[in-house]
Amino acid sequence: MPTLGWQAVIVLAFLSIWQWGWSLHAFAPWAVPDLFDPYFVSKPSEIWSTFLQLGCLRTDEGHYVSWTSGEFGQCLARSDNNLWLAIGVTMRNTVLGFVTGVASGFVAGLILGRSRRLSTIFNPFVVALNSIPRIALAPVIILAFGIGDASKVVTSWIVVVFLVFFNTYEGARSVNTDHINAARLLGASEWQVTRTVVMPSAMAWVFASLSPAVSFALIGVIVGEFIGAEHGIGRLIIESEARGEAAGMMVAVFVLMIVGTVLTAGIRRLQSYLLRWQDQHQADAT
Amino acid sequence: MANGSAQFAMTRLSRVDVEGLGKSFQLGGRRIEAVKDVSFQVRDGEFVSLLGPSGSGKSTVLNIIATLLPMSTGRVEVDGQPIISGKTTPNVGYVFQRDTLFPWRTVAKNIGYALELSGMPTAERRERVAAAIERVGLRGFEDAYPALLSGGMRQRASLMRTLVKEPQILLMDEPFGALDTHTKLDMHDVLLKIWEREKQTVLFVTHDLGEALTLSDRIILFSARPGQIKETFEVPFARPRDGVALRETAEYAELFSHIWHSLGEEFIKGRAT
Repeated sequence: MPTLGWQAVIVLAFLSIWQWGWSLHAFAPWAVPDLFDPYFVSKPSEIWSTFLQLGCLRTDEGHYVSWTSGEFGQCLARSDNNLWLAIGVTMRNTVLGFVTGVASGFVAGLILGRSRRLSTIFNPFVVALNSIPRIALAPVIILAFGIGDASKVVTSWIVVVFLVFFNTYEGARSVNTDHINAARLLGASEWQVTRTVVMPSAMAWVFASLSPAVSFALIGVIVGEFIGAEHGIGRLIIESEARGEAAGMMVAVFVLMIVGTVLTAGIRRLQSYLLRWQDQHQADAT
Repeated sequence: MANGSAQFAMTRLSRVDVEGLGKSFQLGGRRIEAVKDVSFQVRDGEFVSLLGPSGSGKSTVLNIIATLLPMSTGRVEVDGQPIISGKTTPNVGYVFQRDTLFPWRTVAKNIGYALELSGMPTAERRERVAAAIERVGLRGFEDAYPALLSGGMRQRASLMRTLVKEPQILLMDEPFGALDTHTKLDMHDVLLKIWEREKQTVLFVTHDLGEALTLSDRIILFSARPGQIKETFEVPFARPRDGVALRETAEYAELFSHIWHSLGEEFIKGRAT
């Protein structure tokens, strides 16, 4: 059986157990742990119908939304329990946190990686700051930046920036000295060495940090939304939890899974283009 | 090429002047003298090889002249100006032993690198790069990344990356040391053709006597550590030379065995220490 076939079987088996496994509980309680109770984990069928409702695809009365009647538009305009609005807000804040985190981490890593003196001076601070679990700062950030978008972007930035910083720093440190010497002897100035040798060779290191950085950015935003937010997928989870609606929480989790996968795939594409000179990427680029 | 070297060509002025050069390293509290009191000159348009067993300090001397290493004692002048360690001397090109092509740049972009740094307009740069690629037979590989090239092709690209800037003085540190015999002979012809046309002043480090004889006007033989000049040999073979045919002549064999004898003693000494 091809790989795809096996993967389909695994998905189907997983969904089936989830959907019907609990029915066995009455007959054989020892085989199905209490955790499988749909009250906690819901069921695929319920999750799907909650998704249709939250996503404005089916009305609360149970009929499918018709595109022509303007029902979809009305539904989108509401601000509570709106899945699309939540996805939009969370994604935008994630991307902002990611981009600012990557940019500032990259610049800082490059500067400290190139200057032995600066890295000696800043080393203890970096180590101390890095040992703080960043998520512990989330309440402080909400307090300082309010419950709007800014606090989510900052939380996301703070978890991303260190990750990218350390990778860029190591990358800038481990540049082949022969390449630096070759560039110098060919007439490169200090800045030209940084731009044409250090930056491209540190790229492989930077990219190694970008896939985890995307997940981290998303975690930062969701945690921020848990603590206090007007919109967003994290807020959706908290609301559903308060109402004891497992299905709503699960819809949010699935959406997060898809958002994370899409963002990571985007990074992969960019990576295989920018690092096309590396052996292992040559095949996908051509 | 014509401007700078023409005025020197008449008098065959010395372009590289090494005077009482010494270099010692600190190694685990012990002081190791790698190079001791080395003096020589390279005249304009002359091809000089520094020959010696490994550890004889010949590469150290070259790297000091290239400003890659600071010297401990002595004086080095290029075109009458003392060199400054860490500061690149204009007009001097350097070819490494190890492969130092930038793996993230294509062949054409590697070769054009120095021109790009100096801000040459794109159109002119393209023309110069295309000509350089043509000369070493790399046509069709302009857009290939170095990872795809063979060792010989990489070294051709390396050579042109240095030469495209048209340096008048060329420092080469065992540039063909990592190549197989056949590719090496090929590269000798490539280098000889370029040199016979442009007559750069070349200082070439090698431990391969055949290579030194094929290429040079003069061979400076280094002794085992501490590196000192043991002997200097003139290489009188006619130019232009054909590397392969030359090796079959009697005069080549004679000079080879003469220098081989002297070199052999140093190999043995080098092994003993």
